Amino acid sequence: MSNAAHWAALLPAAMVGTDRQPLAATSPLPGPVGALLNDTLAQTPDSATALLRAAGIVATCSLAGGHGLHTGDAPPAAAAPDQRPPLHAGPLMALLPWVVAEGPPRLHQAVFQGLDHAGLQLPPRFLPAALELGRRSVALRPWLAPVLGERGRWLAAQRDEWRYATGASDTAPPETLWSEGNLEQRKAFLHAERTHSPDAARQRLSDTLAELPARERAELTAVLAQGLGPADEPLLDRLRQDRSREVRSAALAMLLRLPDAAFTQRACARMAALLKHERVLLRKRWTIDAPTALPADAKADQLDTPRPQHDALGERAWWLYQCVGQVPLAWWEQHMDVSPADLLAWAQSTEWARALLRGWRDVLLSTANPAWCHAFLQAPAAARQLNDTDTLVALLPRADREAWWQQQLQHGAATHLGHFASQMLTGCPAGETLSQPLSLALARLLRERAQHNTLADDYGLRNLLSELLCILHPDALHLLDPWPRHADETPSFATIAHGLTQVIATQRALVHLSIHSSSTATP
Amino acid sequence: MALTLEAVAALAPDDASAKAAKGLTSAAKWPTLGANDQAVWGECQGSGSKPYQTQVDLSGPAFKCSCPSRKFPCKHGLALLMLQAQSPTLFTATEAPAWVAEWVASRSEKAQKKEERQAEKAAAPVDEQAQARREAQRWQRIENAAEELQRWLGDQMRQGLGALTNEVLQTWHTMAARMVDAQAPGLAQRVRAATQGVRQGEDWPERTLHRLGLLQLACEALQRRSSLSPELQAELRAVAGWPLDKAEVLASGEQVEDAWTVLGCAQEERDDKLIERRVWLHGHRTGRRAWLWDHAFGGKGFEQAWIPGTCVNATLAYFPGTTGLRAQPVNVHGAPTEPQWPQRTAADEWGAMARRAAASPWVGWHPLVLPDAVLQPLGAQPGLRCADRWLPLQMPGDDLWVLNAVSGGNPITVAGEWDGQTFAPLTAWHPHPPQPSAAPAWQRSQA
Repeated sequence: MSNAAHWAALLPAAMVGTDRQPLAATSPLPGPVGALLNDTLAQTPDSATALLRAAGIVATCSLAGGHGLHTGDAPPAAAAPDQRPPLHAGPLMALLPWVVAEGPPRLHQAVFQGLDHAGLQLPPRFLPAALELGRRSVALRPWLAPVLGERGRWLAAQRDEWRYATGASDTAPPETLWSEGNLEQRKAFLHAERTHSPDAARQRLSDTLAELPARERAELTAVLAQGLGPADEPLLDRLRQDRSREVRSAALAMLLRLPDAAFTQRACARMAALLKHERVLLRKRWTIDAPTALPADAKADQLDTPRPQHDALGERAWWLYQCVGQVPLAWWEQHMDVSPADLLAWAQSTEWARALLRGWRDVLLSTANPAWCHAFLQAPAAARQLNDTDTLVALLPRADREAWWQQQLQHGAATHLGHFASQMLTGCPAGETLSQPLSLALARLLRERAQHNTLADDYGLRNLLSELLCILHPDALHLLDPWPRHADETPSFATIAHGLTQVIATQRALVHLSIHSSSTATP
Repeated sequence: MALTLEAVAALAPDDASAKAAKGLTSAAKWPTLGANDQAVWGECQGSGSKPYQTQVDLSGPAFKCSCPSRKFPCKHGLALLMLQAQSPTLFTATEAPAWVAEWVASRSEKAQKKEERQAEKAAAPVDEQAQARREAQRWQRIENAAEELQRWLGDQMRQGLGALTNEVLQTWHTMAARMVDAQAPGLAQRVRAATQGVRQGEDWPERTLHRLGLLQLACEALQRRSSLSPELQAELRAVAGWPLDKAEVLASGEQVEDAWTVLGCAQEERDDKLIERRVWLHGHRTGRRAWLWDHAFGGKGFEQAWIPGTCVNATLAYFPGTTGLRAQPVNVHGAPTEPQWPQRTAADEWGAMARRAAASPWVGWHPLVLPDAVLQPLGAQPGLRCADRWLPLQMPGDDLWVLNAVSGGNPITVAGEWDGQTFAPLTAWHPHPPQPSAAPAWQRSQA
């Protein structure tokens, strides 16, 4: 409060009471306000009234004369100018408030991706909401980072919760991106270097690892998967002994893809010793026996993961499962000269079926071998035991995945669309859409269901719809625009339907944006 | 000027209405939809057999709907505007049906009649003697109350603020109640505010003394009221909480016609679902500021919407008084257009504020438009830096961060309310926009 000296002169009497401490004009108060106070005090005999009058004067003068406090501090640094323009006014801009506040996660990612491709940035007023989205979803961050711009990084640096998004300027030299960038920028840098000079990238990673926290070690180690080769073996051998479990399993997964690595060779030899090709009557058949003890080198080769107390596998089966998990799937085909499908059937016939299937599934998840995926998908008994068709479909190469879904659609998947939709959502990687033919087929199906108003009661499906629309190919969107509505919708479904209309409008606005930006980019 | 979805949602009386309205933004729910320059209308299929007839007069926007909802505007009216913002092509009809044309006509008729009535009322012979007697009676009561209040204030000073116990504070509440009995609710409200401020914050002794000092000033002025100017008497009447009849303001207040840019709108929920709205206007031609102050109860919204960053051609009637700030609309002409932002220096703004505060220190809020202000969001107290002064800010965290993002640490023009201690930003715009009449870069989200 300004006029501090005047208040200070009045406060002692006001606090103690004028009965005990009458207001005395002992020393004249400074300034014109002080002169007025001095006059008033002199002219008012009653001390309490004098005090109140003086307070009225100071209050009025401080209101009329007040205009904030003095500041000597230098203003904080403003954000650097942005290289990219922000999104301009248009259909997408009009939809953005809804997208950031209520849109489904896939739409966030699609919008950020669309802005990035168009060479645009998020308009500043959406930055706080977008940074909040990124705070809650780690998966969104790689899509968010390119559209934050200088303004976004400047903003992120001001709040601890948004630190993840701080980093070097996009225009900084590459080396600065590595030395000062955030995790996303460093990953992008390492990816680029890995593409043109894999050895240098590996050396750089190897030199940095010691100073990184576990999560960053794991994320950067994953970059090695690109262009993986025998030269990476020594580093991977070191990393499989890392303190962090995430890093260890990433390294082990990559070693599975190096059949000639010493570690992998040891794992295969261990397995070969457990397999026997025996003659039973006239035919030869393979048998397997679980280890009777942990191998001597178990600790050195990461086979000593303790068995969870209530695991379905017994102790020996657990040891077998550990060993299977380190053997590349191709080895089984070569060593036993049997197809994946037959191997699955054979495993079922042994007494160690569970350990084998679990081990193979783990290896499959790390190496995504298409032949094995198909074998698992077509072996109902084995697949049932594993109970994760969605994950397996997601491992297939895109063409195989699409073919699988087309086939499912023809064979009655339409009747339980909810389950099918969740499978497609798991299987379609972030940043991609379904193919045009499949999207058209799915869009027709959805339109038919929407027209007959049978989606509202499909509780499994209706909550997936907005995400499902996000993975449709742009060419299929017109089939669902406008989304068929009904006058007798329940309020809750009307809310969902409104969201669907908005998702479609946003996607069409994105298409418009990409056409517009590509036409201006190439005159 | 078409409204955005956000602007429509901001018109909703509560969140539930906005949400319900979103559910109705489907063409399937609206068998007929139409729009022209004056109005937007549609028939919405509700739960009954007959569709609801919903219409919006764009000059407000003012809403009317045949549904039984007590919310105002109802979800149908909001949905209609949202639908228009979303897909204007659906509004194919341009010829207003009878039920729309009649209502629009009746609205302008009503406005006309209102004027006529006021003219009649002004002309009508009233029993002036009786009225003067009633007024004199009330003034007498208020003056007596002021005398009592002044004695009481003196007692508090003699005992000292340090001696305030909860029992003593109880007598402050009693004093407030006595002011209400004496038909001076404005004084009562000030006593209550002083009571609530006791032992709140480190500087409460100064603040309390500040409030009591202003009360003393009001009491002394009330007792020598007859020797004061008519404007100051009107100001004192407002301080005592004796409102002027709106018709009286329309009849006797100074009327100003101008293109009014809505500088900002603050909407706050008071007790018992009472929504208070303060709208700040700037007249483009006259350079005058105006303050519209109204209230709405329990989910019933405001009939006239004032959308920040729009410009409204209107005639306002100013309340009599020394500050020349408070006004009420007489007539609104046509739909809102692009804003005409004021161009003034910070020194001009502070000067105008100082004159108003000196003319009446009892004004609670002053409109301020601060050019080239830099936001300083960090630290214990966020602030706004403007021409080597620093103003503590009072605003919700989410709004603060959006304003920070929009300004990027660069100077920006901010309009808001100054209460003598803190500044509450309501709207902000870029100082050198490509067009002088750009939409606001930021505005406070409605609670």
